[in-house]
Order: sequence, then structure tokens, then C-alpha cells
Amino acid sequence: MPPLKELPTRPNPAGRSKLNRRQALSLLATGMAGGLAACSKPDEQILPYVRMPERIVPGEPLKFATTLPLAGIGRGVIVTSIDGRPIKVEGNPRHPGSLGATDVFAEAAVLSLYDPDRSRTILHNGAIAPREALNRALVTELSETRSSQGKGLRLLTGRTTSPTLLRQIDGLLQAFPAASWHAYDPTDDDNAHEGGQLAYGQPVRSIADFAKARVIVALDADPLGHGPDQIRIGRGYAISRGEPNAFSRLYCLESALTLTGAKADERLALRPEAIERFAASLARELGANASATELADRERLLLRKITADLNSHKGEALVIAGPAMSREVHALVHWINAQLDAPVRLIDPIDRTPSGKQAGTLEQLAGDLDSGRVRQLVMIGVNPAYDAPSDLHFGARAQKAAFRLHMGEYADETAAIANWHVPQSHRLETWSDLRAGDGTASIIQPLIKPLYESFSEHELLAWLSGAEDAGAYELVRQTWRTAAAADFEAWWQRVLHDGIIAGSGAIAVSLAAPLLPPLADPEPHDKRDDEISLVLRPDPCLWDGSYANNAWLQECPKPLSKQVWGNALALHPDEATRLGLTPGDVVTVAANGRPIEVPVLTDPGTAMGAGALTLGGGRQKAGAIGSGVGANAYTLRTSGNRWHLPQVSIQPTGRREPILTTQNIVRTPEDVRELYPLYQLGQPLPGPVDPDPPSLMPPSVKPGDGHAWAMVIDTSVCIGCNACVVSCQAENNVPVVGPEQVAMGRDMHWMRVDGYDHGSADSPQIGFQPVPCMHCEHAPCEPVCPVAASVHDGEGLNAQVYNRCIGTRFCEANCPYKVRRFNFFGYADGEEYGNLGAESYRGQKNPEVTVRARGVMEKCTYCVQRISGARRAAERENRPLGPDEVQTACQNACPTRAISFGDLNQADAEINHKKADPRHYALLGHLGTRPRTTYLADVRNPAPLNPEGRT
Amino acid sequence: MSEVLLPQHPPAHRWISAARAGDASVTQAVADPLFTGFGKTWWLALLITLPFVLWLFVAIAWLFYQGIGIWGINSTIVWGVAIANYVWWIGIGNAGTLISAMLLLTRQRWRASINRFAEAMTLFAVAIAGLMPIVHLGRPLYAYWLAPYPNTMALWPQWRSALVWDFWAIVSYLLFSILFWYVSLIPDLATMRDRTPRRAGQLLYGAFALGWRGSSREWSRLQTLHTTMAALGVPLVCSVHSIVGLDFAASLMPGWQESIFPPYFVVGAMYSGFAMVVVLAAAIRWGLSLQAIITRRHFEVMARILLMASIVMFYSYATEWFMGWYGGEHADREVVRFEFTGTYAPLYWALLACNCLIPQLLWWPVARRSLFILIPVAIAINIGMWLERILIVWNTLSHGYMPSLWRSFHFTFWDWSFLIAPVGLFAFLFLIFIRLIPSVSMFDMRELAHQEAAA
Repeated sequence: MPPLKELPTRPNPAGRSKLNRRQALSLLATGMAGGLAACSKPDEQILPYVRMPERIVPGEPLKFATTLPLAGIGRGVIVTSIDGRPIKVEGNPRHPGSLGATDVFAEAAVLSLYDPDRSRTILHNGAIAPREALNRALVTELSETRSSQGKGLRLLTGRTTSPTLLRQIDGLLQAFPAASWHAYDPTDDDNAHEGGQLAYGQPVRSIADFAKARVIVALDADPLGHGPDQIRIGRGYAISRGEPNAFSRLYCLESALTLTGAKADERLALRPEAIERFAASLARELGANASATELADRERLLLRKITADLNSHKGEALVIAGPAMSREVHALVHWINAQLDAPVRLIDPIDRTPSGKQAGTLEQLAGDLDSGRVRQLVMIGVNPAYDAPSDLHFGARAQKAAFRLHMGEYADETAAIANWHVPQSHRLETWSDLRAGDGTASIIQPLIKPLYESFSEHELLAWLSGAEDAGAYELVRQTWRTAAAADFEAWWQRVLHDGIIAGSGAIAVSLAAPLLPPLADPEPHDKRDDEISLVLRPDPCLWDGSYANNAWLQECPKPLSKQVWGNALALHPDEATRLGLTPGDVVTVAANGRPIEVPVLTDPGTAMGAGALTLGGGRQKAGAIGSGVGANAYTLRTSGNRWHLPQVSIQPTGRREPILTTQNIVRTPEDVRELYPLYQLGQPLPGPVDPDPPSLMPPSVKPGDGHAWAMVIDTSVCIGCNACVVSCQAENNVPVVGPEQVAMGRDMHWMRVDGYDHGSADSPQIGFQPVPCMHCEHAPCEPVCPVAASVHDGEGLNAQVYNRCIGTRFCEANCPYKVRRFNFFGYADGEEYGNLGAESYRGQKNPEVTVRARGVMEKCTYCVQRISGARRAAERENRPLGPDEVQTACQNACPTRAISFGDLNQADAEINHKKADPRHYALLGHLGTRPRTTYLADVRNPAPLNPEGRT
Repeated sequence: MSEVLLPQHPPAHRWISAARAGDASVTQAVADPLFTGFGKTWWLALLITLPFVLWLFVAIAWLFYQGIGIWGINSTIVWGVAIANYVWWIGIGNAGTLISAMLLLTRQRWRASINRFAEAMTLFAVAIAGLMPIVHLGRPLYAYWLAPYPNTMALWPQWRSALVWDFWAIVSYLLFSILFWYVSLIPDLATMRDRTPRRAGQLLYGAFALGWRGSSREWSRLQTLHTTMAALGVPLVCSVHSIVGLDFAASLMPGWQESIFPPYFVVGAMYSGFAMVVVLAAAIRWGLSLQAIITRRHFEVMARILLMASIVMFYSYATEWFMGWYGGEHADREVVRFEFTGTYAPLYWALLACNCLIPQLLWWPVARRSLFILIPVAIAINIGMWLERILIVWNTLSHGYMPSLWRSFHFTFWDWSFLIAPVGLFAFLFLIFIRLIPSVSMFDMRELAHQEAAA
């Protein structure tokens, strides 16, 4: 420090400074040093841009192809990054698992990246530890185990298809031949694997081509539901329903309503046991030697229809079975598909190491732990302390291993039982690779440097193998060096750019005809009165629970119940009445002596005697958002019965817990008919409706030139997956309000998906209607606003001027579609829910879109920022805007391409073809609002009543 | 209030009970208590209302600090208690001017006993009503954007919006009410100036009396001005509540988009306003011992007006139901069905009982003359009218065109605060008023006494 005491303390009467030059300079230096020390600038030398780095223009978005996993399987995505911050995930059209679309999990991944609850440092017994300490511990442990060839070493991963990770596991198992590798994914379908083994004598992975199928029979399966293959299957389904002459028919037998059941043409709700009997009967009809079983009338009629349809569509018919079906039924389905010459491709499993090693099971690991054979337990990217079947008591058994290392994105339940925890980098922060469902590989490339001191699983495996500090980048490149053509760097560039490694897909295996498995009648269970048959399902929003701390997904309405912030036991209304329950009653659900408490909701799509519950709730250490939300269904699960618990008792607790929902499923027939027209294939459609009902008002003014933006949504292919909802949320900085505010009825989604039930009280037939702003030409919101905050622009957009809005809310009061959303509190502006106000979350905000303040009305803008961006790009290149050049966020996310957006003034725009469809209608068109968002009516293709043409 | 006011045999004079009321005695009866003070009762009453005033200030402060999310409104039912309060208070505020202006024009002499405090009631009610649309805003600090003031953005209000019409209706009505009230107050202020023993009173009353000397020229000018203003006032009274009705009617929503709304709102306003005047008149009469000036005959006439209005209200409701059915629109029929059977059905039935059924008691002359019956009926009408306003908001918004977003309103503590505390503020202001200003028009009363004596 410079000598401060030398500074003048007396006022200078002459008015002239007594400071000499030296003192002045030293004072200046003091001030500068103090000023610099006050800011937390890095120690290293920092330099401003003198020359702009190429490509980086502040505020200009950059897009990178990468891959995101779901249950270990990759979906290719293209991530938008602004100023180095990834802000939005979109589909990669080249990738077979994405086809240019996304699902809710891919959309929400970008929020998890900025989650402040993510694990930030290495922990040793819960305390922050330096990396050197971990290194020392690893060296000690490894040198100990090396002498015994890794006898006590066990590696537990999730299901993984990463070629690099599988190569590294191979390497590790070569270095430690006595070690073993186990994999556990809570959403894995073991019965399907075993069924394939049973039918073909070897493990197979079957890939059904829905685009080619004209008849699909789903046996308690939910192909359109959430999962790694949802986008591909959804697209196939949409394609199969494009041509009236080759329109597919979807049969669905299920124990509780799924998205597949909602969209089914023929649906029957049955308990899983009854579906298994039905499957056996179906096989018998198709020539299998199975004993006849008693079927109810409705089942017999449906069986006749299905048999006739399958027989007359050989080569285009497909049967699929869900996870609750036994392995015998899965094998049977393989046999049926072979008989039908179904459009199914069989490939080798994609989660084997290069040397063909298959991971052991969690049960084997639990056995090893029990017998004390495990000394070092390394768990990577898994959370068995939360999601293992409860009869394994994994948390307690793991304590028998002396060295327990957990690597994960969160310091979660499993981190709590481990003595070492290593933060795992988010998928958008690290290098890796993954395979799609069909085996096609793609690279994961980081969009951002790790926000925290986190590591890649490849780095950890390199440490375990003894290779010091090999970076993930090099490890991934090593994997592909041999696969690449001569010029590796050029190949690598192309692979990164395309987001897909061309030609890496699995080749179909040719196998002998599948064996017909021995068909045993499912064991009859004598149920007590208070017992039901319970089906577990992955959650449509939280998946297996690993997304529990993602606020977008917690607040994403579950498609069929519209429930948010929790899960509930779905029962048929009559079943609930029989058990003396009303919706919202909390019951104790117990299986094998392990109880959980969960509220009841009624769903007429649930089979009598059955119930359904989703996984992913009841996390203890998920973080500020997800901890303690919902009930943990894993408690009920056993290693033998992962998806179907045949005997579960229900006891009311007397407590009540309101089910938080964002909206109602509409079931009143008159409303349903008016708002959601549904036709049967071949039924004559009503002619076009005059969009201008008789009126005393002057005719609507149509803009003569420029663009006229409009949207058409095809409800017949909307599968209600919510990808559009979350995509809109990510693109438009839509805030999360939290459970208390949802209970007050104040969710902020700009896009909602309404559900309409065309069925009867016992057999629902749900259709989905995504509702963004209608951008009415005669917008009722505009004339009522006293300050002209709701205005129309020349291109037909109904714009909301946030900084002019004073919050009278008259616009929403007068909106017949109720699409406007009001910031009752500063949901994004100082009064955030939970930790959502944390600084890190601001990184996700789209800088092109205003973050709305308290007291202001907001709503869908047709992604006006994207329109503007496309217009600017076209103007820069001095060309007109192409007909389908602007893609809204919801449109872009849609797996089935149900949403089209474009310019009505361009005749060749897709939207104009859609508008010419006879199914075209305007929602509440008779009000004369002339909405720019319009719909195509749903079409179902029920089977003829007399399938064989006889009575 | 239970005292037997009338002599055993009905007097010849209907509007003033004293057999012979001289000018001095009328003036004395009204003005003297203001000089001697009202004693403990008044202070006690003021003390009771004070917490409500503070409560309202706390509620408004909390509202501004937290945002309007503290109310039970939601994305579907975006309006709530503030709007219902606004309509209700405007309705209360309707009767004062209506009584003064309409009855002045139609030469109903009995208005003299009640017009002063009824006008004061109007002032306070309209002031409270004017507060409601401001606190109701999401961003109340920008309420002034409703006014067409010059600004750099060259932005004006959006004139097609009923809320802008409303803004003008409230502002002009409030200004008019103040002027009308003040003009008729001038001679009495002069009386006060001349009679008050205190210097401060002399100065203050003197300043506001504008040098009134009581010359016949002044009286003549005053009468011309007052009558002219009354002629202006009657259409204004009708327009203000018509425009409030248009807030709802100039929309697209089922249950709101009805051409009957403007007249139906005017009658409703008169109805609740007269009911409030009945309650206040009874209170003043008892509190200031003005039994001689506010007679049972007054109550009986007002009861007749209430009865007539209740029939018109019932007719309006019936028209709504009929048109909902006759119009054939599914959504309209649904709203009517929802009114009778939906979430708020008990409130709707209570509304019908309060506004249509209970007032039928007033067919009986006994009921009209008995304050025991009349006051509860008037209170029931005021409750019923508030229910009507809140249900207009709730029923339509809860049950609009989109069944997927049908929701219910849930009252919060702050909704109750904004419902109850303004009543306390109103009472507080009214107590101050009766303490400072003659609550009965002395010069009108003197004139009435002369006319009665002549009759």
C-alpha cells in the first residue's frame, strides 16, 4: 500500500495542492488498485476483442447440432446459442430420432442446464473436497483393486448407448477382468427384452414402422406416449393418417388411458390380466395352438374386428405390447408380427459394448453387495437410492461397499449414500456420443463450458482406467477415429455440423421364425374388495423422476389429467365410488407391505379393477423445485413386478389434497360437438362455413399487400404430447408460477392443449386441441383496451404492447378463447417461484423476447421475433420471404407436424393447402371473430361393425 | 329509532311533523348541534369507523406493494371484488343526485329533508367508486394514461373502449356532484357563518359562503343556477350508470352482451341508492334527533320507490333469462343455467330473495311505515345489489365460451378487505360531514315549513 499517512490532512489555504507529482501518481495508483480489487475480475490477463472472432456477432444466434439423451437413447437436436448461452432446443431434421421435432424433455433440457441446484463441487461424505483428494482416494482404491484384478469393483450406469462410454467400459473390464458392469434404467422394459429372447433365442430390438402400418394393435402399449421413440413413432402415425385411401386404424387395449388410447380408433379398457388373456385369444385366432379362454361380449366383438383387420392387411399390420405385459405376451407378439409379416425391423441391441458385453442387472449387483463381494461401487448418472425397486433396499445394501462413488448432475438421494460425489456435466456442457433408437450414432458437442466444476463420465472412466486426465473431447474422437474415412478432420467437421454419423445405423438382423412361447394362463389373483391391479407408467412430464427439478416440466400439464406439480392415482369413477372415494381423497396404496400416500383422481378411461400411477414423484433430494412433489411410486415396485402390480390395496386416509390442474377435460356433449368436431373416415363433411356471419358492422379490412400470417392446426394428428407447450415456454420466456399460483388458477402458458372427450361415460375418446392466440381479424380484445395496448398490425398479428398495458384485464375478460395470461405477481420479475429467480436462470432467457413485468397482460405473439428475424434475413439477402420460411416455436417442436404456419398471401404456402381441406374450421367461428388460427377436424377410423360381412 | 314520532292523530302537514315550525326553530334544530357538538356518541362512532379507514389504507398499501395477485382473481375470472364494488358504489352514488335533481325538477317538496345528506352520500360513494378502477389496475401508477394528455408518444386513449367512456363518466359525474352539492350549500354556509360563535368557524364558513348576503337577487340567481344544474344532472345520472352497464354490454361474452344492460343498470343504481338513503336517513334522524324534519311520510315515499324499482329489477332479470333462452345461443343458455345451478347458485338465489322477494313486503302500508321492517329490507336490497354486481362478473367469466377454462373464484382476505373497509371509510367521511356541515338543507326546510303551514 502506498503511504496514505503522507497525504495532506489540512486544508490548503492557498487553494493549491501540496501534492507533488509522485504523490499524485501514487494516489492514482492506489485508487486504481482499489477499484480493480473491488471487481471480481479473473486473475489472468484479460483482453477485449480487438478483432471480432469470426462468426461471433453479439446478439446474433448461432446454431449447433448435438444430441440429448432420454433413457440412454439419443435424439438429435439443434441448439440455438446467443452470446455463448444456449437458449433453445430444436429438432434436427437429419436425425432419425428427432426428424426435426422435439419432445418435452429435449425442450426442457436447456432449463436444467442453468439449474442452480445442480451439483457444483466434488463432495466427500457430504463436505466439499478438492479434486486432489479424490485423485488420492482413487489411486489408493485402484492400486488395491488392481492386484485382485478388480474383484471388488462394480460399475453401475444407466442404460447407455454411447459408443465412447461402451468402449471405455470395455477397456475398464479388460484392465480389471474380475470387475463387473451393471446397468439400470428405471424405465427399461425388461419383459420386452426377455420376450425377444424367448421368441428368437437371442436378444433383439424391434423397430416398428408406423408409417407403413395400416392396422395397429396396441396391447397395453403406449407407442404415442412419451419415450425415446415418441417423435419417430408419432411422425409415422401422422403419415399413416394422411391419405384417406390408406388411413391407418389404431386398436388399443389398455388398463388406463394413454395418449395412444386417446387417439385410438377402437379402444377397450381392460385390466392387464385380461389383456394378456386377450392376446392369447388373438394368437389363437391367428393360428396359434393356445387354449381357449372366456372372453366378455365386448372383448369378443373387438377380437373379431381385430382378427379380420389383421388378416386382411398382412404386411401392413402391426401388434405391439407394453411393459406391463408378461414376457410370454411379448414373445407372442413377436410371433404374431412374424405371421402378419408386420413392418417391423429387428436389430441387435444397441447397448452392448464393442466386444459384445451386456451389462449385468441391478438385482445381480444387489446380490453381490449382500454377499460382501463389492468393495468399490462406482455409480455414474444413476439414482438407484431413489428409483431402484424397493425390495432391493439398495440404499442400505450399498453401504456394504466401502468405497462408494457417485457421479451425477445433482447431489441427489444416491449422492447421499455415497462417500464420494462427483458432479457430472450437463449434456450441453460436454463431449460425448449417443445412438438413436435405430442405432444411428451422433455426437454430443458442448454449447458452453461447464458452468460449475463438473466432469464428464468419460473423464471419470479414464481416471478409473488409470489414464490421467484424458479430456472427453479426445476420448470421443478416439472412438470414431477408426470409423472415419481417411480425412478424419473433414469427416469430424461434417459429423458435428450434420449432427449425425451417416451410415452408423444398425443393420437388420435376419433371424429364424420366432418360436411360439408356451402360453400359460396368467395366474388368477384372488383380490380382496379393497384391492386393485396397479399399472405404473413413466411420467409424461417428469419421466423417471430425473427431471423433477425442472420447473417447466413440473408445471407442464399431464396430457390426460392436466395435473401439475404432483402425481395421483387414476381410478375409474365407478371404482372410486365403490371404494368410497372422491377425487382429491388421499389414499394409502400398499403393495407387499410397502405403503405410499397419494391423492385419487378419476378418469373414465381406467379399467374397472385397475389403477394407474406415474413414476417420478416423491423425490427427497431433487432440489428446490422438485423435492417433496408427488408420491414415490418406486416404493411399490419390486424387481419382479416393475410395471404391473397385480395386487395393491387401497385404504382411505381421511385426508384430502386437491389435485392441481390447469384446465378441464371437456366432456359435456354439446360443447364437445361444437368446439371439437370429430368425423368418421368416409363420413360426408359439412361444406365450408362463411367466415363472415351476417353483421351490421362494416366488412373486415384485409391488408392488401404484405404478409398475412395464419396458423392451421390439424387436430387429427395432434397426440397431445405437450412439446409445443414447453417449446413456447422456452422460446418466449414464459414464467413458471408454482403450485400455489396454479391452485389460484394463474398458470402462464401461452399455449395450452385442450382435451375433448367424444366418447361415452365408460369409453372416452379424447381429442387434443392446441390453443395458442387466435389472432382474430376482428379481435374482441382490441376495442376494449382503454390504452390501445392490444392492437393489430398490418400483417394480421394481434399484438400486445407490454409497456403500454396498464392491466385492466378487459381484453382477457372479453376473449372468447381465454388465451391471454396476466402477471398477477412478478412471476418473472422479482416474485419468482422457488429458486427460479436465481441469477443462473437468466442465462436461458431469449433476448429477443421481453421478460414481462407484474401487472401486464401477455399472450402468444405467433413468435413475432422469428417472423422479424426471417424478414431481416430475407432483406439482407435482398429476396422475398419464402412461403414456409418462418417457423413458430410450437410448429417446430411438433413431432407429428400438426401445426402449420405461413402467409395466406402466398398461394403456394402449405397453410393455404390446409385451409382448403374440407375438415377446416374456425373455433367459435360463429362469433364473427375471424380467427387466423384455425383447425382441421379430427378424423377417426373405427372398424366396421360387421368385420367379416356377416351378422 | 323506536320512538313514536307522530302525534296520535295524523297531522295536516305531511312533510314536517311539528304543528307550527317557525324559521328560527328549523334553523335551530339543524344548526345548533353543530355548535354544541354531538357528544360521546359521535366520538364513539368515529372511533369505531377509524380502524376500517386504517384497514383500507393498509390494504391499498399492501396491494400496491404486492400486486393484485393478493386477490382471488385468476386467468379466467380476471375481474372480481374491485369491479363489483365499483359498480355498487357508483350505484349508491346515483341516488343523491337523482333525488335532488329529479325531485327538484318534478317539484317534489319533500326532497328538502333528505337532499343534502343524500348528495353528500353521492359524493363519498362516487369518490370511493372512483378509487376502485384505479386499485383494480395491474399497474395503477399508469392510471392517468386513460386521460388524453399531451405526450411525446402522441398516444391518446383508445376511444372505442368502454373503460374510457367510463373514465369520463366518473370524472364528469364527480365534478358535477361536487358543484351541485356546493351550490345548494352556499346559503346554509352563510347561516353557519352568521351563527357560529367561534372565530375559526366564522372564517371557514365565511370563505366557503362566498359572501352570501341573502339578497333576493342572490336567491333568484341561486334558484336559476340550481334548477339549470338539475336539468343537466338528470341525464348525467342516467348516462353514468348506462356507461357502467356498457362496460359489460359492449363485450362479446355470454351474459354480458345484452342491450338491456344500460337501463337495467340505471334502475339498479337508483334502487340501491334509495335503499342506502333510507338507511342513512334513519341513522341521521335518530342521531341528530330530526324526527320533526324527516318524517315517516318520507320513508313511506321512498319505500314506494323501492317497491317500484324491485319490480323493474325483477322484470330485468326475467328479460335476461328469457332472452338467454330465446336467443338460442348455447353459451347464453349455459350461463343462465349456471346462474341457477352452478357454483354460485346459492348467492344467486340470495340475490333474487334480496332484490325481488323481500321488497314485496313493502306492498303493505304497515311495512312501509315501520322502520323495523323498512331498514332491514333496505339493507337486504343493498346486499342483494352487491351480489348482483359480483355475480354479473363471476357468472359470465366463470362460464364463458371455453369449458376447458371454466374456473371458480375464491375469496381471499384481501377481497374481504376491499369489500368491508370502504364501508368504514364511507361511514367515517359521513360522520365528519354531519359534524361540520348542516346535514339537512335549512333554507329548503324553511321554505317547506312555510308551504306546509300554508297548506
